[in-house]
Amino acid sequence: MTTRTINFTLNGRVVSAEVAPHHNLVEVLQTQFALTGARESCGQGLCGCCTVLVDGNPVSGCLYLAAFADGSDIVTIEHLGGPNALDPMQEAFIESGAFQCGYCTPGFILMAKVLLENHPQPSDDDIKDYLSGNLCRCAAYPEIVNAVKMAARRKMAG
Amino acid sequence: MIPFELAEPASLEEAIALIDPDDPDVRPIAGGTALMLMMKAGVFRPRRLVSLRKLNGTMTDIAAAPSGELQVGAMASLAALEHSPHVVRSAPIVCRTMKRLSNVRVRNVATVGGALAHGDPHMDLPPVAIALGARVRVVGPRGERELAVEDLLTGYYETALKSNELITSLTIPAQRTGRAAYLKVTSGSADDWPALGVAAAIDFQGDTVKAARIVVSAATSKATRLATAERLLTGAAINDRVLRDAGEAAAAEAVIIGDLRGSAAYKRELLRVYIGRAIRAANENCND
Amino acid sequence: MTEAVAGKQIGRSVPRLEAHAKVSGRAEYTHTMRLPGMLTAKIFRSTVPHGRIKSIDVGAARAVPGVFAVYTGEDIRQVIPEPYYGPAFHDQPILALDKVHYVGEPVAVVLAADPHVADQAVQLIVADYEELAAVFDEVEAAKDKVLVHEELKPASTFADLKHLKGRKGTNCALDFKLRRGDVEKAFASAAHVFEHSFKTQKVLHLSFEPPASIADYKGDSVTIFTASQGPSFVRTEIARLLGWPENRVRIKVPYLGGGYGSKLYIKMEALAVALSMLARRPAKVALTMEEVFYTITKHPTTFRIKTGLDKNGRIVARQCAIWWNGGAYADIGPRVTQKSGFTASGPYDIDNVSIDSYALYTNLPPAGALRGFGIPQLVWAYECHTDMIARAMKRDALDFRKQNLLRDGRPQATGTILKDVAIEKVLDRIAELLKWKAPFDHGNGTLRRGRGLAIGLKAVISPTTSVAIVNIAADGSVTVYAGTIDMGQGSDTAIAQIVGEVLNIAAETVRIVPRDTDVTPYDMGTLGSRSLFHMGHAVRLAAEDAKAKIASLAREVGEPEGSNVPLAELFRKKYGMQAGNIVGTGSYKPDYVPPDTATGLTPNATPFWMAAGSGAEVEVDTETGRLRVVRLINVADVGNPINPKIVETQLSGAALMQLGFTLFEKMHFDGGQVSNASLADYKIPGIHDVPAMENETVAAWQSNGPFGAKGVGELATFGVSPAIANAVDDAVGVRLTELPLTAEVIFRALRDKAGNPLKDE
Repeated sequence: MTTRTINFTLNGRVVSAEVAPHHNLVEVLQTQFALTGARESCGQGLCGCCTVLVDGNPVSGCLYLAAFADGSDIVTIEHLGGPNALDPMQEAFIESGAFQCGYCTPGFILMAKVLLENHPQPSDDDIKDYLSGNLCRCAAYPEIVNAVKMAARRKMAG
Repeated sequence: MIPFELAEPASLEEAIALIDPDDPDVRPIAGGTALMLMMKAGVFRPRRLVSLRKLNGTMTDIAAAPSGELQVGAMASLAALEHSPHVVRSAPIVCRTMKRLSNVRVRNVATVGGALAHGDPHMDLPPVAIALGARVRVVGPRGERELAVEDLLTGYYETALKSNELITSLTIPAQRTGRAAYLKVTSGSADDWPALGVAAAIDFQGDTVKAARIVVSAATSKATRLATAERLLTGAAINDRVLRDAGEAAAAEAVIIGDLRGSAAYKRELLRVYIGRAIRAANENCND
Repeated sequence: MTEAVAGKQIGRSVPRLEAHAKVSGRAEYTHTMRLPGMLTAKIFRSTVPHGRIKSIDVGAARAVPGVFAVYTGEDIRQVIPEPYYGPAFHDQPILALDKVHYVGEPVAVVLAADPHVADQAVQLIVADYEELAAVFDEVEAAKDKVLVHEELKPASTFADLKHLKGRKGTNCALDFKLRRGDVEKAFASAAHVFEHSFKTQKVLHLSFEPPASIADYKGDSVTIFTASQGPSFVRTEIARLLGWPENRVRIKVPYLGGGYGSKLYIKMEALAVALSMLARRPAKVALTMEEVFYTITKHPTTFRIKTGLDKNGRIVARQCAIWWNGGAYADIGPRVTQKSGFTASGPYDIDNVSIDSYALYTNLPPAGALRGFGIPQLVWAYECHTDMIARAMKRDALDFRKQNLLRDGRPQATGTILKDVAIEKVLDRIAELLKWKAPFDHGNGTLRRGRGLAIGLKAVISPTTSVAIVNIAADGSVTVYAGTIDMGQGSDTAIAQIVGEVLNIAAETVRIVPRDTDVTPYDMGTLGSRSLFHMGHAVRLAAEDAKAKIASLAREVGEPEGSNVPLAELFRKKYGMQAGNIVGTGSYKPDYVPPDTATGLTPNATPFWMAAGSGAEVEVDTETGRLRVVRLINVADVGNPINPKIVETQLSGAALMQLGFTLFEKMHFDGGQVSNASLADYKIPGIHDVPAMENETVAAWQSNGPFGAKGVGELATFGVSPAIANAVDDAVGVRLTELPLTAEVIFRALRDKAGNPLKDE
C-alpha cells in the first residue's frame, strides 16, 4: 500500500502524517492524533458528527480524503477553549442543556461557532438553515437553537 | 474503502491524459462528496482517482460580464456560488437554491462541475441551470466543446461526457426580464432528498409570458424540460386556469419514476400541483 | 457555570455532571476506542431471509494480505460449544449455525488490524444457501405455516420471564392472556360495539454511536469494553456462555452515544469475546450505520381492538388482540409482549377486559425494546380507537375520555389498584393548553387545520433490582458506585442530586464512578424508565447508610449528637491523619406478584404507573396530503421532578423521536431485505422538523418513589402518534390506521374519501 506524507496545521501546530489515498480525515485524526471528538456515525455527511474545520470551513471529515488536507489548516473540537476555560459556545451548550448523549455535540458546536462568525446576530431561521445538516437523535434541537442565541447575545454584548 | 492510487495533476491536459477512457475504475474527483459515498458503499471501487483540486488556472473563479452573464469555474465550490456577489446580482435563484442544497459542509466541498457531471437526478443545481438556459464548457483529449446543461444530462446518472472529458466552466446567461423559482418537495424529513423538484424561469413582457422554461427533476430519471407546459404558458397571462392547464400538461408529459419517496402516481399528482406553485413563486420572486 | 450549593438538591436544574467532557469532545465512546494490538472485525451477513447453509467459502478472504483470520459459526464452537444467547430465549447464535433466519444475520467474520483490509476481504466471502420459505408478517406468522425455529429454548435468566416454556411447532415465543370479568356477556348486552384494526411499522433506534464492543481475553479472565445499557446482564450472559464464574468477566462501559433500548441485554459482546478467544488478541466489533439496520429494531404490530358501550356511553367491555412482530430472534420481545399487554386496554375503567398478546418470530431483523417497551404501539391503537368511538357517538373526545377514565383507587385491567397516577391532571392540562372547549379555526381552501389529543398508561417492568455503594473518602468527598448507564438521560446527575440531598452536599461535588462490573454493583439494566425509581432508591439507601455510619463515627470520636464538625475532622480524629473510608450500601427491589397464568390478573403488577399524553394541532394541504404539525404539547406525570431542566429535555426528545416514527420513519423491505438501510434513505427528524412545542409536568408525588419521583425517559412517546392522527381526522375527516402518516398516505385517503381513488401506474 503506497502512502504519502501530508503536512498540515492541526489545532495550531504544524504536523505531518503518513496516509494512504483511501484514508479519510476522521480516521487519521483518530488513529494518528488520538483526537476522537470528530466521529463517524452515518458515514454519509448527513449527521455532522464528523465535523472538522478545514481552513475555517466546516466539512464532513468522514467524506474528506485525508490526502486533501495536505497544506491546510485543520481545527477540531479539541482546540476550543483553554486549559481553564471553555469556549463561550461550549458554555452556552451546557447552560442551555443542548445535548443528551453528546455524540453529535462537537459537530454542532463547531458549526455554531462558524455560524456566528458569518452571522453575528442570526435569526432562528438562519440558525436552523445553517444547522440543518446536523442531526441529533436525542433531538435536543430546541435547546441547541437556544444555546446558539445565548452565545450570540453574549458575543454581541462583548 | 479499498486502496487506490491518487493522482493530483497540475494541468487539465495532464489530468485528461491520466484518465484511461477504457478503464471505468479510473475517474476524476473534484470535491468528492458524491464519489466518497459510492466508494464507501462499495458500488465504486476505483483503481485510480485523478484529483482536480490542484489544477492551476481559473477553475475556481466566478465572474460576471457587463451583460450579467455569469462564468463559473467548474471547481468553484457550491458555497462559493451561494455567496458570490455576482451570482446574487445576476441569478439570485441560484443563491436561494444553494441555501437548501444538502448542507453547509457539503456545499463547502462539493463543486459546480461535480454537481453537474454526477448526473444524479435528485440534485438541485441541474434543474435550475437548465431553467436558466445554462451551458457547460467541456474539455477532452480532442479539444473543447460547449453544450447546454439540458443536453449534458442524458439519463439516470448518465451524461453526454466521455469518461476523459471534464467540465471546465458553467455559463449562466443574463436573466434580463426573467423571474425564476425552484421548489422541491421532500416526503421524509425536511432535509430529505426531494421526491420532486420543479424549476421555472419565465421571461415576461408586461403581464404576458414571453418565454418559459419549466424543468422537472428528482421524480424523473434526469432533470427534464416540460415542452408542452412551456408552450402552453408562452403568450399567456398567469392565472388559475393557465396554471392548472400547465400542471395538467406537465403531469401528462413527464416520465415519472416511483420509489421510496413516493409512488409514480402520487409524484405525478405533486407535479400537477407544483407546476403552478413554482410559476407563482417565480412571479413573486421578481428577480429580487 | 452554576455555583455548587449544598442544601436542597432535589428540584434543582443542576447542569449535567458530564457536560464538560461532552462539549469538549473528550468524552470517550466505545466506538472510537482502541486497545494496543487490537484487531477489527468485519461481519459477513446473510443475503437470504431463511435458508440452510450449504457452504461458506472463506478462502479468498483469508488470502487477502493483512487478514488475520476468518471465522464462521463452526469456529466459534471451538471456544464456546453452545454459542446461543438471548435474554428471554437462548435462540441467537453468535454466528449463524446450520441455518440463517433473516437477511443481515452474521454468518462469518474477518479479523484484521486494518479495518479497510477487513472490509475488502469480507466482500470476497461466498456463501451458498438452500433457501427455505420465509414469513414476514406477524399475523401470518401466527398461523405457524412457516416455522422460523424448529425448537424454542427459554433462557430463564430474568425473574419476570421464568414462565417461558420451550415449544415446538410454533412461531409464538409467548402468548399473554388477561381475562377480567365476562367480556362476551358484556358485549352481548352492550348498546354499541366498535371494532377496529391498527398497524405500526418497523422502525429503529438509530443511536448515533452504532453498537460497539471490544473484548480483551487473557486466558483466565476477559475484559469487555462495550456500549451497553446493562453491563450486569452482559456479565451474567458471558459468564454463562463461557461456563465461568462472574468474577472472571469484567464489563466496562464508557459513555454511550445514545441507546433508547438498542444497547440492552446482549448485542455484540458475545461475538467480540469469541473473536478475542480465537485470536488471542483484543478484538473490536463496531458496526456501521448500515449494519445497525440488521441488528435490533422496534416491533411492528397488528392490534385488533373491540369495545362495547352501554347506553350512557360507558365502556363496559374491551377485547384486545395484539400480534408483535419479533423478527428472527426473541431478544426481549416476550417481555414487551407481556408487560405492555398489562395495559393494552388503555387508561380506562372497564369491568370486562380480554387481552391476548402474542410474541411472534418472523424472518426479519430482530425487534426489542425501543423507548416505551411496546406502549407507543398500543397507545397508537387504543387512542385512535377512542377518538373513532367518540366521533361515531357524536361525543366530545375529551368528555368521552373523562367519563371513562381510570382513576386512583380503581382496579386496572390486571386487578392492581391504581395509585399515584395523575392521568386526569395530564388530560386536563393538555385540554387547557389546546383551549379545547374554545372554538377552533379549521381553515378553509386547501389548508385545513385540526387538533387531537391522546393519553397513555404504562406499568413499569417488575420485579427488578438495583444495588449501589456510596463511598466517603477521608476528606469528606463522595463517590457513588451505581450501575445505571447515563446514555444522555441525565441519570448520573439525578443520582448525584439524590445522594447530595441525603448527605447535605452539592450534587456537583459528587462523583459517579464509570461503570465497571469489577467495582460497580449489580443493576438490572437501564431500561423502561426504571432507573430513577429503582436506582434512585438504592443510592438513597446507600447514602442513608453512610449517613448513619457518619453519625456512629462521630459518637465514636466523642462528638456530641448534632455537632457540626466537618467530616474530614472526624476521620482525622479517628485515624490520626487523612485516612479511612465510610462505605454505605443500598439495595432495592420492589414487591411484585406475577400475573396468574390463566387470567393474567395480579394484585401487584407494578411498583409505579406511568402516565402521559400529547395534544397536537396540525395543518393538512389537501392538494398534496402534506401534514404539518403546527403545535405539539406533551404533558407527563413524573411524580416530583428531581431535575426539572433534564426532565423537560427528556420529554422534548422523546416526543420528537416519536414524531419521526409518526410522520415518516419506516424500514422498507423487499423480500426480507431492508431497502433503505442508511440515513440517506431512512430519514429521522432534523432541526427543520421541530414543531412549536410545549413540554410540561403536572404537580404530582409518587408516594413510594425516592423523594416522590419516578421515571421519565419514555413518557412523551406515548400520545404523540394518536394525537396527530386524531388531529388529521379533525382537519380533513380521514382516519388513518397505520403508521407512518406520510403525505402520500393522507393524499390517498383524501382521494378515497372523495370517491376518486388514486390509481397506481
